[in-house]
Amino acid sequence: MAATAMDHDGGEVVTPGELLGNSSLLAGLGAYADGRCVRASITGHRRLVPPPPGSTDQRSTVEVVGHKAHGAVPQPGSVVIARVTKVMARMASADIMCVDSKAVKEKFTGMIRQQDVRATEIDKVDMFQSYRPGDIVRALVLSLGDARAYYLSTAQNELGVVSAQSITGGTLVPISWTEMQCELTGQIEQRKVAKVE
Amino acid sequence: MSAAAAATDGTYSPAAAAGEKRRERKEELRRHLAEDADWPRADGRSFHDCRPAFMQTGPTTAASGSAYAEFGKTKVIVSVFGPRESKKAMLYSDTGRLNCNVSYTTFATPIRGQGMDNKEYSAMLHKALEGAVMLHTFPKTTVDVFALVLESGGSDLPIIISCASLALADAGIMIYDLVTSVSVSCFGKNIIIDPTSDEEAWQDGSIMVAYMPARKEITQLTLTGEWSDGKITNAVELCMDACSKLCDILRERLKDAASLAE
Repeated sequence: MAATAMDHDGGEVVTPGELLGNSSLLAGLGAYADGRCVRASITGHRRLVPPPPGSTDQRSTVEVVGHKAHGAVPQPGSVVIARVTKVMARMASADIMCVDSKAVKEKFTGMIRQQDVRATEIDKVDMFQSYRPGDIVRALVLSLGDARAYYLSTAQNELGVVSAQSITGGTLVPISWTEMQCELTGQIEQRKVAKVE
Repeated sequence: MSAAAAATDGTYSPAAAAGEKRRERKEELRRHLAEDADWPRADGRSFHDCRPAFMQTGPTTAASGSAYAEFGKTKVIVSVFGPRESKKAMLYSDTGRLNCNVSYTTFATPIRGQGMDNKEYSAMLHKALEGAVMLHTFPKTTVDVFALVLESGGSDLPIIISCASLALADAGIMIYDLVTSVSVSCFGKNIIIDPTSDEEAWQDGSIMVAYMPARKEITQLTLTGEWSDGKITNAVELCMDACSKLCDILRERLKDAASLAE
């Protein structure tokens, strides 16, 4: 089967196991190499991506764009939105709700350890002044973690609490990277605040 | 003479005679099934015809993927959930997990049952599917496959396997190939494909093959009863051929669903 250039928008629909090409192509997303063949692993449209200019490997990449990929799964390096569920002295537990702007179908448990809250003064981090239960945080997945939770990190300027409520129930507005102020009462509360974009 | 005959028939019993007649009739039918080369099946099919099939994706909206299949009187619905978080009791795993559960409804069999889970079928379904699913693509998470038999009309497990494969593809789980499955029954010298419940009750043996047609790999082979070597080879080849044809139907169904989604 000779590989021909196809439109980026709509190639033919392929199903798992179908032949996409031979070893003159690289297997991209939704495809896998099987000996000297490249086969599809999901249902979707076949797409051919030209090699980037100047690369040593001049083979095109064939990939399958699934019309219905399975629900988002946290991967190391992805940015997630999570809701803090429990705060302890050395860590905070959070439910991951979004992965890279895609909602998860069922929650995954994440954990923010004390040493991953911020990049500076790691030994002086007070968990209770960084997060509260119910806060919405943006975090980076460090690793798959252990059997119970993914390890998350907010040790960057853009990561941290993005939405929170005060003790009295009002919305908290960020005023610095460590403080938020209540809209209703003006009370200032300590949080690890994400940088507003 | 007639008095002597009456005397010798003194031990005559109507039940015994009826039983004897029934045994003779049964023996004659078995001989007929085993030796005759061309008898019509009860539903009019020839030896190598499958039952009419209907398959559809997406009947369960709450699931990540689902599929419904009918083969003659057998009706199966499969739902796939995940990849989702593994239970806390499970240890950490670098690869994903595949859980399979097969259950029958209370009204699935002619005699009303308890609607119990079928542990043996669940294990066999798992064995058939785990060779096809790319477990390394969802580490630390779990994919759950639930199969529910709404009506049992024979050859239940092969239909469950084919339907589960369709549901996994519908869910977007990465798989090496679609898995299709077909079973055959042995009657003496004859091999019939896709047996019904009545035929399964009378068979001398059966073979079930779960097959990945594009890769030409068998993920499961189950043998019961008595088979000679040559007949096994013929039966397996017959199953593989039927699996390839069934896989074409599955691919058509998936492509239709993909086209409709846009």
